[in-house]
Amino acid sequence: MARGVMLMSGGIDSPVAIHYLLRQGHEIVAVHMDNRPFTDDSPLAKVIDHLGLLRERYRQPIPLYLVPHGSTQTTLMRETDRHVGCVLCRRFMWRSAERIAEREGATFLATGEALGQVASQTLSNMRSATASVHLPIVRPLIGFDKQEIEAVAKAIGTYSISTRPGVCCQAVPDKPATRSNLIQILREEERVDADRIIDDCVRRAVVL
Amino acid sequence: MYRQLRVCASGGGIEAVPEERVVLDLARIGAELRRRGIPVVDARVMLIASMDPEVTIARTGRLLFKTARAAEAEKAFETLRAWVGLPSVRPV
Repeated sequence: MARGVMLMSGGIDSPVAIHYLLRQGHEIVAVHMDNRPFTDDSPLAKVIDHLGLLRERYRQPIPLYLVPHGSTQTTLMRETDRHVGCVLCRRFMWRSAERIAEREGATFLATGEALGQVASQTLSNMRSATASVHLPIVRPLIGFDKQEIEAVAKAIGTYSISTRPGVCCQAVPDKPATRSNLIQILREEERVDADRIIDDCVRRAVVL
Repeated sequence: MYRQLRVCASGGGIEAVPEERVVLDLARIGAELRRRGIPVVDARVMLIASMDPEVTIARTGRLLFKTARAAEAEKAFETLRAWVGLPSVRPV
């Protein structure tokens, strides 16, 4: 079995994805990109509660890295095209997760993405978001629809945590790009010092 | 004029949305809040002011108060209105 790093948002999908990986016997390290002040405290509280439940169910420690991401969002919003903000944001998340994977000796990255479930989860956006990471990316829910994911979330007890009230990410643009062009994304990213930003965020990460 | 404050779609905050299309002068609002000692994050199309509760001020005029308590949001709205000159809320 392998060791992987899972991005966890506090939403419905990521705990279901982690459940399938744990069920197969993989070791998981969780990463939460802390979007405050663009969200409130609720996403982190949800991730902590999701992991509490999954740790108990699978008798696995599941360390949680909390990576500050709010200052990255501010920089992206100030310096880059808002339309592609979600794709750029995810590129930073993936690269931070990959750094943590290197530190943790993990050999894959994982996410709760399901194709086409939200406007930003299109093939072109996924490609643009992950083009700069090298580890394989596992998406256990890629072909699931929302009802299937919710049914599993209810069965494993994470649904009621995910659906608690909270403040959505305020950095999401009104009309996020659904078909991104990697060349355009790279051009936008050149407006900021991506390596320095990622170095700084990973350095400031704390393990909970 | 703002519509009545209401719980936001995800249920974790209370928002105020202007009835007409407006473009707030975020530079002026940010400067005024800082002058009063309020830390402000400037994200170009929105400000996030560390008031109590924290509030997001979008250029479009939408305000989001990070609290589920209506009384706290209303108090912060009135404070903001007095400080930076926002339109009032339409009475019920």
